[in-house]
Amino acid sequence: MFNASAQDAANGKTLFMGKCASCHNVTKKGTGPALGGLEERHKWADHNEILKWAHNPTGYMATDPYTQGLKAEYGSLMQAFPDLTLKEVDDIVAYINVTWNEFKNPKPDAGAGAGAPAATGNSALIFGLISIVLGVVALILMQVNSNLKKMSDDAEGILRPEPVPFYRNKVYIAMIALVFFVIGGYYVSKGAIGLGRQKDYQPVQPIYYSHKVHAGINQINCLYCHGSAWDSKHAAIPSVNICMNCHKAINAYEKGPKLYDEDGKEINGTAEIEKLFAAAGFDPKNPAKWDPSMAKPIEWVKIHNLPDHVYFNHSQHIRAGKVQCQSCHGEITAMDEVKQVADLSMGWCINCHRQTKVDFNYSQGKGNQFYSIYEKFHNDIKSGKMDSVTVENIGGLECQKCHY
Amino acid sequence: MMKNIWIVTLVALTGMLISCNGVRREPGRAYMPDMSYSRAYETYASTQNLKDEGINYTALPVNGTFAKNDLLFHYPYKNDSAGYANSATVKDPLPAMDAVQYLEAARLYLVNCGICHGTKLDGNGPLWNGGSGPFPSAPRNLMDPLMVKLADGTMFHSITYGKNAMGSYASQLNVSQRWMVIQYIRDKQANSGAATDTTAKGKMPMADTTKKK
Repeated sequence: MFNASAQDAANGKTLFMGKCASCHNVTKKGTGPALGGLEERHKWADHNEILKWAHNPTGYMATDPYTQGLKAEYGSLMQAFPDLTLKEVDDIVAYINVTWNEFKNPKPDAGAGAGAPAATGNSALIFGLISIVLGVVALILMQVNSNLKKMSDDAEGILRPEPVPFYRNKVYIAMIALVFFVIGGYYVSKGAIGLGRQKDYQPVQPIYYSHKVHAGINQINCLYCHGSAWDSKHAAIPSVNICMNCHKAINAYEKGPKLYDEDGKEINGTAEIEKLFAAAGFDPKNPAKWDPSMAKPIEWVKIHNLPDHVYFNHSQHIRAGKVQCQSCHGEITAMDEVKQVADLSMGWCINCHRQTKVDFNYSQGKGNQFYSIYEKFHNDIKSGKMDSVTVENIGGLECQKCHY
Repeated sequence: MMKNIWIVTLVALTGMLISCNGVRREPGRAYMPDMSYSRAYETYASTQNLKDEGINYTALPVNGTFAKNDLLFHYPYKNDSAGYANSATVKDPLPAMDAVQYLEAARLYLVNCGICHGTKLDGNGPLWNGGSGPFPSAPRNLMDPLMVKLADGTMFHSITYGKNAMGSYASQLNVSQRWMVIQYIRDKQANSGAATDTTAKGKMPMADTTKKK
């Protein structure tokens, strides 16, 4: 099949995607073997053999030790494709060969990606230095001024008391003390307020897990991994088996952009995936043998921490409050390494609680409907069905009102 | 001597400004560490010291027990080829969903399944994306006649234990959520017009947003 045209390969691609791709990949093992270079294996150079196999795998295997070996290796037998024609097999193989050759002889990388992100200039530093230099120049000029004045006084014969040197001049000392007091006070109060706050905290995690790649580029819903945010107080860190839902098949980082850590060092994505495999006890060469119960938890570093005396509940905020994850966690879909965006201070919480409008909206059938009971009471009192509302009516006999 | 003081001050100020510029890898100090970092066993705190003392704390459930919500339905088959074959006889224990449950099922599908099987159930979610996504195997087209014919129980078996390249979703979807997702898929299959399936339920009513309180 060396005269396969591009048209055949294009047909083959459609067929491959529709019939084969669920289990086979050209370059990688999947549920079934990698199909790249299949014509060099077994009798597959003869497409009639492939056709016989695909029409009736069970029958073919009965007299063929090679495919018996494949069944033993992969643990399952291919489904039969009784409608497949020889022309279709030719096309599929043409597609496989084109893809395999492209994989073996990759084109030189056009633009090898943008370099590491350049460090951003710090204008505060420049302005600070300029201020200091100007301050020194001003002092020197003032000193020169007083010296010149003294010289002119001497020349004109005016007697003045010996001038006080500037470091004993009370005005100067008072001014400098005031400046130090203001600057020092600013830093002391800023430091005291910042004590215990972890804004911008961006720890090094045991595995370089990029939220940008997962939640941004690949559009995985936050709740896929942090599903318990919907049901409970915690937005739980996924256990290893949830990572392995996809990474059982995705065992190399190939299609995303180049990754860099915050220090500009390039990250090898495939090596990071191998760290996951080590924790999961998974051998990518032998996927069928994996036992998920032997997985070890990965010790991720907790970033967002609230003290013991604060109760925060994720499900309440995202379901009743309909707050988006990004409102507090920042633009997580653009972060490679996650950092804490909000300072999680009480003022920050309160500010949002002051501004957020509660979506009662019970007349529309949506909204959180939490306080619809009050509207019912209001109407019942107006119509005379009730004369007053007791504490019991509004949940006063719930055990947890007192015993929590 | 005066000159020296100026130089020292200048260097100190410059140092202070430079040190403000960088990645924060440490959480910093807290006023009362005992309060900031819980002394009680919080979620994800290590319980190794309890394990060392032989205390059973948040360990795996005892064999043969199952969660309260799963009492509704106990799936009897193991993850082997006999279990897969037998799964076809299992019937969906859930009654037909109402509008609210349907919306919840749609949410569960979109969060957990749509990433591969696509929002249109066509097997072309963002992870596959016609072969240009990172996933190396094409996800099943759930609108495919083969999938329409697939028994409810077998679908449940595959979600529970995983199938081919797909992993187990037992930790992300509880038993009734799995059945809700299956009902959602059946509803979509029945209403796509692409395939005819007599077992699927009729069109579910969508949420009635005009409902008066």
